[in-house]
Amino acid sequence: MRTSRCLFGAIAAGSFLAAAAAQAERGSDGHVSIIYWQAPSILNPYLSGGTKDLESSSLVIEPLGRHDANGNLVAWLAESVPTVANGGVSEDLTSITWKLREGLVWSDGSPLTSEDVVFTADYCMHPQGGCAQLSNFDSVQSVEAIDDLTIQITFDVPKPYPYSVFVGAQSPVLQRSQFQDCLGARAPECTEQNFNPIGTGPFRVVEFRPNDVITMEANPNYRDPDKPAFATLTFKGGGDAAAAGRAVLETGEFDYAWNLQLAPDVLQNMQNAGKGTVVSAFGTLVERLMVNLTDPNPELGDERATPKHPHPFLTDRNVRQALSMAVDRDLLVEIGYGQAGKATCNVVPAPEIYASTANDGCLVQDIEAANRLLDDAGWVRGADGVREKDGVRLSILYQTSTNAVRQDFQALIKQWWSEIGIESELRNISASVFFGSDPGSPDTFQKFFADIEMYANNFEGADPETYLGNWKCNENPRPETQWQGGNMPRFCSEEYDSMLADMAKTGDINERARLGKAMNDMLMQEFVIIPLVHRGRVSAHSNTLGGVDLNTWDSELWNVADWHRVK
Amino acid sequence: MFHYTVRRLLYAIPTLLLISLILFLLLDLAPGDPTAQLPLTIPPDVKERIRASLGLGEPIHIRYLLWLQQFFVNESLHLISELTGWDISGDRQRVISWQTRSPVVDIVIQRLPQTLWVVGLSYVVGIAIALPIGIISAYRQYSWFDQVGTFVSMVGFSVPTFFTGVLLIVIFSVHLGWLPSIYDTTHVVTDWNSFLFQIRQLLMPVFVLALFNAAQISRFMRASMLDNLNLDYVRTARSKGLAERAVILVHVLRNSMIPVVTVIALGVPSVFGGAIITEQIFKVNGLGQLLIIAIEASDIPMVQTLSFIFAILIVLFNLIADVIYGILDPRIRYD
Amino acid sequence: MSEAGLTGDALVEVRNLKVHFPITAGILRRTVGEVRAVDDVSFDISSGETLGLVGESGCGKTTAGRAILRLAEITSGSIRIMGTDIVKADARSVRELRPLMQMIFQDPQASLNPRMTVADIIGEPLREHEASTLRRRQDRVDELMESVGLNRDHASRYPHEFSGGQRQRIGIARALALNPRLIVCDEPIAALDVSIQAQVVNLLEELQDRFELTYLFISHDLGMVRHIADRVAVMYLGTIVELAPRSDLYADPKHPYTEALLSAVPEPNPATERERQRIILEGDVPSPANAPSGCVFCTRCPKAIDLCRRERPEFTKIGPSRFVACHLAGTDQPGPQANLRPVPSN
Repeated sequence: MRTSRCLFGAIAAGSFLAAAAAQAERGSDGHVSIIYWQAPSILNPYLSGGTKDLESSSLVIEPLGRHDANGNLVAWLAESVPTVANGGVSEDLTSITWKLREGLVWSDGSPLTSEDVVFTADYCMHPQGGCAQLSNFDSVQSVEAIDDLTIQITFDVPKPYPYSVFVGAQSPVLQRSQFQDCLGARAPECTEQNFNPIGTGPFRVVEFRPNDVITMEANPNYRDPDKPAFATLTFKGGGDAAAAGRAVLETGEFDYAWNLQLAPDVLQNMQNAGKGTVVSAFGTLVERLMVNLTDPNPELGDERATPKHPHPFLTDRNVRQALSMAVDRDLLVEIGYGQAGKATCNVVPAPEIYASTANDGCLVQDIEAANRLLDDAGWVRGADGVREKDGVRLSILYQTSTNAVRQDFQALIKQWWSEIGIESELRNISASVFFGSDPGSPDTFQKFFADIEMYANNFEGADPETYLGNWKCNENPRPETQWQGGNMPRFCSEEYDSMLADMAKTGDINERARLGKAMNDMLMQEFVIIPLVHRGRVSAHSNTLGGVDLNTWDSELWNVADWHRVK
Repeated sequence: MFHYTVRRLLYAIPTLLLISLILFLLLDLAPGDPTAQLPLTIPPDVKERIRASLGLGEPIHIRYLLWLQQFFVNESLHLISELTGWDISGDRQRVISWQTRSPVVDIVIQRLPQTLWVVGLSYVVGIAIALPIGIISAYRQYSWFDQVGTFVSMVGFSVPTFFTGVLLIVIFSVHLGWLPSIYDTTHVVTDWNSFLFQIRQLLMPVFVLALFNAAQISRFMRASMLDNLNLDYVRTARSKGLAERAVILVHVLRNSMIPVVTVIALGVPSVFGGAIITEQIFKVNGLGQLLIIAIEASDIPMVQTLSFIFAILIVLFNLIADVIYGILDPRIRYD
Repeated sequence: MSEAGLTGDALVEVRNLKVHFPITAGILRRTVGEVRAVDDVSFDISSGETLGLVGESGCGKTTAGRAILRLAEITSGSIRIMGTDIVKADARSVRELRPLMQMIFQDPQASLNPRMTVADIIGEPLREHEASTLRRRQDRVDELMESVGLNRDHASRYPHEFSGGQRQRIGIARALALNPRLIVCDEPIAALDVSIQAQVVNLLEELQDRFELTYLFISHDLGMVRHIADRVAVMYLGTIVELAPRSDLYADPKHPYTEALLSAVPEPNPATERERQRIILEGDVPSPANAPSGCVFCTRCPKAIDLCRRERPEFTKIGPSRFVACHLAGTDQPGPQANLRPVPSN
């Protein structure tokens, strides 16, 4: 237990919370209630990628390591974070060895062993399992138990960032004895297991009502005998963000409300009621415009929006730059996100070592300069004020998902673009269609049958390598890949691809940061991705709930063991 | 009547099969992807595997037949097993939700109590309010009572529940702090205090829905009473020297209730269907909320099964309404 | 009108009866006018007689009939039945008088509660007014059904299971249940097939003899009234324009309106029928909400003189038991005799 004290002490260093938490006795603070306006459907994150499911399950099941509120990797069920320096990661970057803490037990009292970890890997990597977290196990060759507490993961390629497996709420350890009959195609049939997983976390499930409410109680076998401070916990789901905010900030019925995506003034009014506090933190989520470098003209048939047909005018870098310059990002933040957003010029805005400052010129809107740029590039205004050159009109189809804030953004941006002589037609598509990957639908964000599209994306954890990999040449969605792939702009640069290949071989964090920034800058300075707003997470807790440390790099409930009642 | 009922039940079978097929086709043709709600950080090939594991790769007729078998055969066998304790269902695959990976019917059964408590109670309360209002409004047509009743019905009918619901929450939960704004579905009534809490948490959602139901039914009641009040048999009853109370309650009301009872019976399936908006506002998480979440998540087995259960209830209560009509009105004979 | 009491032992005395319905308009439903459905009507009905009340539809005869039984709200006037003024009586006293006065309605279907069996319909007033046993009530129902020519075995059936004529018999049995003295027959045969009409009328006559009933027989069918009534009152636009013994009225109508009505009655004898000449009245009946000043009939009267448009004629006695409301009556001025021919009585 000494190690765990140290761990938590380090996280909450210097804060009064640690002292308060250390004094508390398990269960002495009674009941805590949490509301998520999206209701959890299942408590097995391997069968669902939904945030609501990941975060609710993080109360019960835990990974080997995770990210703290600052994005730093910390050991959780493991003794320490393996690195090349401490010998945990092999020199050739193809294997990582985790060592479990001693004496850990499941909530049913049985010991946690390396067999459980090995089993969890088998469970997710089973070809018929439909594991939602399979990408975290990318290029894993084998997971072996060296002894009861030691696990070695071997990759089939050098893996400079080997912390995707068993790190974070999306990759926790399942109990082998509970799940051993649930492999592969049988995974979905294990309702009891999926609703009531046995874990090592601070709470265990009493009753799970799918899409409604979870009742939990303190895990009697939790590794720290003084924690958690709460004896019971209710995790209510459903409704909308406004109602969740109201329940914490105005009526005080709940202690914690997740992800309050509300208009800034609404949130401020709620907070004025004096019952709770709004907290925010920034991860890597960026609302951005994607520029289509290929021609989405329907007359092209099957070759529509493929690299065989370059876009008639968006291939001109000047036009793309002008589109970016005409946008007033601060106004967008003020209107759409308030406290929960800040203007950004990077697609990789965080963690700090990866955040570039080379592109910050975009923070100031400059319509005049944008006009000049287009004038100089030979785009001349026609009779109706829309610019054209060689019979090509600057007329844009601008699509996004249906969402009030996004429609506000569309209207504003359309106005700004019209000021620089670019006309745009707005279109919004239901999120379930837009983000769905039905190859039969023409309206998915991957097919991108439009000139510009807007949405938000981020990356898991603190390492952007996979994320930056989206803009590799061969990642562009096309008929041959059933329109799968993350390279929406259909961007293609040998230089970019080679930097990515370098990054895949680099273990040194500073060198990785240099490469990451360079790739980010390349995308930014080519204006194939136009970042708009760095979006944060806004949640709220009641004034009587202490210990909340909002973490956007992992589950928001990552340190629930430290939560306690403020007297 | 018995033969008629049996005949109608037999006719219902092809009707329901056709409904199930249309539902299935509609759901299948509608755009939507069960993995659309997953974070973008999950790569497309993983999503593809998830879809395959859900059975989406099979051709549509196979999936339809599979659903039919799962719903009619496997679920029935399971139900029999549950009721009798005999293990005849074996490990036959039941209808499984894509979101929760658990049997849809179990979730539906889990949701029924809160839906019946809230929506059912509001229906009963609505009827209890509506009938006297309708009767008095008609008897004292154009009196101030009738005018107020008309106004309240108009408000109840035209002001959406998402407005009245939120308004009540702001007044009674936020400002006055008297009532909870979020329904606790895990609450169990064990003693007087917990019963009082149950009443308090039921108060707002039941009121909102009851207002809406009462508005509708009181209008029907009033119209039906007015139709009957001017008929000669009422004059006959008066000329018999009956007290006015007896004339209204025995003669007029009994005849006026015939169409109203039918309307009430036809409204019962909507009780089971839940009140989607009200359930969302008060977080009652009944069947309506279950359906809307399933639709958002493109959980086709859940949507298909729920819609089909509603279809069964609608067909059933249509039949019940007709039978009640036949019982209440001696002029109707079905055989 | 003091000597309107014809026989001295009048069962019903109606004096200056007015039934006005308000006309409302606008959101606040203000009263903007009134429909004078019955406007100042006086007559007597002697015990045991049949008074026919005839007139076009809308003339107020049904309302007058209902008012006499207090089934319509009375605006003013007095109605004495066996000496009791039922206009002033409270609801309770009226209910106590109900057994004495009953009504037979035009539409036998609508007048019977569709959800009650025949036995309930006939038995309900017995239950209400006579504290009798169930057994005795059943016997009485059987007795009544037989007296109107219905099979007693059908007592547990519902009204819709009977034919129109049978339904009217149920209505009659129901009306007879409490041994009434007065029965208001409101067009009792108008909704029936012609072949059934005679049967019902004969039944009414037979019952009148058996139970010493007094009828107010409301009808637009002058032929049928001539058959059943002892005296006849003719109504036009809410007022009685002529009241006379049957034979006098049919032989020598004094009011131009009566003349016109009678001219429309077909003759049973083909020879006289060929000679019959109809008086076709011009124009429509004015609205009772907006009755003409002066004589109510002046707008359509073929003989109207200036006086008729200025002054309303008194309802005056012009002969033994003959009353008429016409300025021309009694002046012995020959009417349009060229067009009219005395109608042979019976």
